[in-house]
Amino acid sequence: MTAAAAQASHRPTKPPRSRAIYAGLVAFVAITLVSVSEEWGIGLDLGSIVEDLGNGRVILEQLLAPNWAFLPRVVDPLLETFQIAVVAAFIGCGLALPISFFASRTTVPNHPTLTVSRGLLSVVRAIPDFLYALLFVAAVGIGPLPGILALIFFNVGVVAKLLSETVDSVDTGPIEAVDAGGSTRTQMVRWAVLPQVLPNYVAFSLYAFELNVRASTVLGFVGAGGIGFLLRVQYQFGFWSNVSVIIICLFFIVFAIELVSIRLRRRLV
Amino acid sequence: MATQRPARPSTLKRNLWIAGATGLLAWAALTVNVDITDLASLPAGLWAILSRMIPPDLSYLESAVPAMMESIQMAWLGTIIGAALSLPLGFLGAKNVSSPVVSSVMRQILNAIRAFPELILAIAIFIPIAGLGPVAGTLAIGVHSAGTLGKLTAEAIEGIDDGPVEAARAVGGRGLQVQRWGVVPQVLPELIGFWLYRVEINIRASAVLGVVGAGGIGFLLQQTIVFGRWPQAGMAIIVVVVATIIVDTISGGIRRRIIVGSEAKTVAEVDLMAESPVGRSVS
Repeated sequence: MTAAAAQASHRPTKPPRSRAIYAGLVAFVAITLVSVSEEWGIGLDLGSIVEDLGNGRVILEQLLAPNWAFLPRVVDPLLETFQIAVVAAFIGCGLALPISFFASRTTVPNHPTLTVSRGLLSVVRAIPDFLYALLFVAAVGIGPLPGILALIFFNVGVVAKLLSETVDSVDTGPIEAVDAGGSTRTQMVRWAVLPQVLPNYVAFSLYAFELNVRASTVLGFVGAGGIGFLLRVQYQFGFWSNVSVIIICLFFIVFAIELVSIRLRRRLV
Repeated sequence: MATQRPARPSTLKRNLWIAGATGLLAWAALTVNVDITDLASLPAGLWAILSRMIPPDLSYLESAVPAMMESIQMAWLGTIIGAALSLPLGFLGAKNVSSPVVSSVMRQILNAIRAFPELILAIAIFIPIAGLGPVAGTLAIGVHSAGTLGKLTAEAIEGIDDGPVEAARAVGGRGLQVQRWGVVPQVLPELIGFWLYRVEINIRASAVLGVVGAGGIGFLLQQTIVFGRWPQAGMAIIVVVVATIIVDTISGGIRRRIIVGSEAKTVAEVDLMAESPVGRSVS
């Protein structure tokens, strides 16, 4: 036996790949093929999309020539979008704080309450913001009110999910300490849990606020207030140079809010 | 003798923030064009809707299920397109892989992509190109996802351990080889987690695209609700909720197994910065 061969035999053998990886790959390929296919899926054909790229040129040219005279008409709806986002963020995040304590193992140990509240939360999260908007428009009529209501539900879903997971993983030391001091459940949450999750809570709320500004553009499409309604009208009449002004304004407001919010969140966590 | 207590830290700054936030809320709440008395009609309005939705029209399953499948397929393919685009963007956006100049330019590009909601991408770009239908919606989802996933990818890469990268260089790896053997194995579990999470988000996003004719179940939701076909609307909503929860559960299970099973580094801070997959253990 040569030295090289001896050395080679000392090499640890490569562990076999787990079966889960192969199962995952097969599932991935199968779902993708079905989704791409014309018959079972949506019929996605990248080749023909590349061929059709030119179709977008006419509209793109109009989008690149924004009609700035339209700007004054954008200001008020844009302000309304911002107001909707602010009000909904405060109310929704405010509600999410107590709700998340009902959905965490730390604060509600081994209890049917936990199952029920988590189940309700996943239903709240499974309904898209746009569906809430449709329902509330049907219930209270068009305007910013259904938009605010829709976003409140959306915020509760996002923030309560993130926050309850944070509460799940808090340090248990302070909880034992207040327990030993004879605290009630409420006191425990107030003095042992809340101080630990407060910075995260504020960060999650800022994050939800960012999402709100973006989402409220969509809500206006179904009559729930804000810039979306104006966007829809201009788009349906094909006034692309007006649409362009709206998109540019939206872009800047979303971008600016995100910059501020990210900076604040970095400081918090 | 009483020991000297340390002085309480100043709360001035915090109080100023609270005052500012309260002021913002007060301004928004008082100036927004809402007649608060309209709220009084909410319970009656909701009750009118809900009572008509029950019992739901079971025969409508025939339309709602294929439409929901289309939504899921749009979300799946959109995420694949987004993930494929986000890999090069993410590598270029990571400070420790590309140069400081390239990475900061790329970060701004990613921020810009993310600022356009799917709906706007669909009406302004992809419906004109691909025509009405799910293909336009899928492409809109894909481009928007590329923005978020690119940012998350860049942040995941910046959080890697330098050791394996140095090792790959030390044995003579160059360029892409270093990325393939030094970087990819470290970030892959995290990236797969991000992708799966993105599928969950995109299913919700695809609902709105139906309103402009870009495919998915949104069109049925809008038609049934706007025209007051409540038993059918109820059926469609049930399909949306059940399908979304099923996908969330499967995806959440796989994500948990990947992250825990591979003992990947905590997904911490990274996930806070853009649409976050696992919101826990941030502190």
